[in-house]
Amino acid sequence: MPREVELSNNERDFILGALRQGLRLDGRGQDVYRELEISFGEEYGVVDVRLGKTRIVARISCEVVAPYPDRKFDGVFVISTEFSPMASPAFEVGRQNQDEIILSRILEKAIRRSSALDTESLCIIAGSKCFSLRADIHVLDHDGNLIDTACAGLVTALQHFKRPDVEVQGEKVTIFTAREREPVPLSMLHHPLCVTFSYYDGGQIALLDATFAEEQVREGEIIVTMNRNGEVCQIAKYGGVAVDALAILSWTNMALVKVQAMTKVIQARLKEDAERRDKDGIAAELRADNDRPSERPHG
Amino acid sequence: METTPVLPGDILPSELIPHSTNKAVKLGPGLRHIPPSTVKATISGTVTSDLRKNAIWIEYNGGRYIPTPSDLIIAQILRSAGEHYTVQITPHYPPALLPHLSFEGATKKTRPQLKPGDLIYARIAAAPKHADIELECFNSQTGKGEGLGPLKGGMCFDVSVGFAREVIKGRRGGVVVLEELSEKLGFEVAVGRNGRLWVEGGEGERSGGLKHVIAVGRCLQVCDEKGLDERGQRELVRQVLKGL
Repeated sequence: MPREVELSNNERDFILGALRQGLRLDGRGQDVYRELEISFGEEYGVVDVRLGKTRIVARISCEVVAPYPDRKFDGVFVISTEFSPMASPAFEVGRQNQDEIILSRILEKAIRRSSALDTESLCIIAGSKCFSLRADIHVLDHDGNLIDTACAGLVTALQHFKRPDVEVQGEKVTIFTAREREPVPLSMLHHPLCVTFSYYDGGQIALLDATFAEEQVREGEIIVTMNRNGEVCQIAKYGGVAVDALAILSWTNMALVKVQAMTKVIQARLKEDAERRDKDGIAAELRADNDRPSERPHG
Repeated sequence: METTPVLPGDILPSELIPHSTNKAVKLGPGLRHIPPSTVKATISGTVTSDLRKNAIWIEYNGGRYIPTPSDLIIAQILRSAGEHYTVQITPHYPPALLPHLSFEGATKKTRPQLKPGDLIYARIAAAPKHADIELECFNSQTGKGEGLGPLKGGMCFDVSVGFAREVIKGRRGGVVVLEELSEKLGFEVAVGRNGRLWVEGGEGERSGGLKHVIAVGRCLQVCDEKGLDERGQRELVRQVLKGL
């Protein structure tokens, strides 16, 4: 059975000693992120995000189902995470480990409960038909900071995804394929991103974007989720050593800077991709929210 | 030494196979003998032969480390049990055994006391297919340590298995980065064939502390990731030394 990869004592002491001198193994500053690389698949909603060696693929898919009886006006949105054994020898198929539980819980809180996605816009006919959106997060390689990478991947994928256009005439619903009508982007209320602080020596040293080795020697982590307007969606701290409240305050301010920088990268990449797809410059005309000529001409 | 690239399934031309009258040809990793006299490649890589040893094998960079007898490796102690330590060579492989007394000059009273998580530099004594792998930290013929044993302090860096083999060969393997660095920095290294490199800052006036260890480790990892040639390696070392 594959074993949990544990750090040796030598590495543990070295990393801590270096951090106390303000050095990181990859030569980054303590508040510097690795480069966020984003690429898109051929389909809408397939996003490949890399942060250093950490790599995650997020994929959004949708189908039409009946809504939950107690939430007649809402669509369905589920997030599912999968840790592939090729990411780390500690991951096994079919057995959830601690990281996976935390990741799915954080994404749930950060994206779903902060209502980043307007689920009401997924409703087609109240009580009988709605879109069910499913986000699959695949962890392909694990070199630390899975939460930030997964959150960035998910938010990018949601912005990239387009659902098929629908038309309702009384009780009759027509769903158009991408060839018939240009698909519709999802309606998002805001774009929250996670920033994880790993801290050492009781909060004296705080690291952003810790690598896998750095994560293994940390005393604890604080995950701050906020959008670019500085609205904090959630702050999570699962165990670990207690930290000063003032430290958390200054970290939230630092998180805002990072979230704004990351949002900029994501928007730039989304724009590039949109331009690449919009070959003849007709996307604006095809947009589903434009007025449509009425079905039958008068007279 | 000669190198030719091959693909899996390729039949090796007979001029590549060393012909010696007094010694049998030894086939190494990635080759398969199909009687009477065909040799086929089972993996893509470069054919490498050693005429002196009358051996031929395929050199490739990829895959996990497979323990082979007499390889030097850097392993991690998991726990001590009875007469031996249980040791992890790679996370993908079942743990190996290191007897308490297979250290230089070790008796029941003087043997090194290792804690879980300590690193050791060891040789693989035996790697049977259906039993536990055995390690040793001394030469069982002479009783000398030969540099093997517990590794104190320093830092361990992970590299690919192929690169670790090249570092062991040094200049012949096309790796000059350590020689170049050692002209300016003082450090100690141990290379494990399981793809781990241990670097220590050394002592005395040339020791630059943790900064130099990180620089050496980064150089090695960058060389591995980018597959730099000798010129690239020299350039990299020059840049790194400038930054210190």
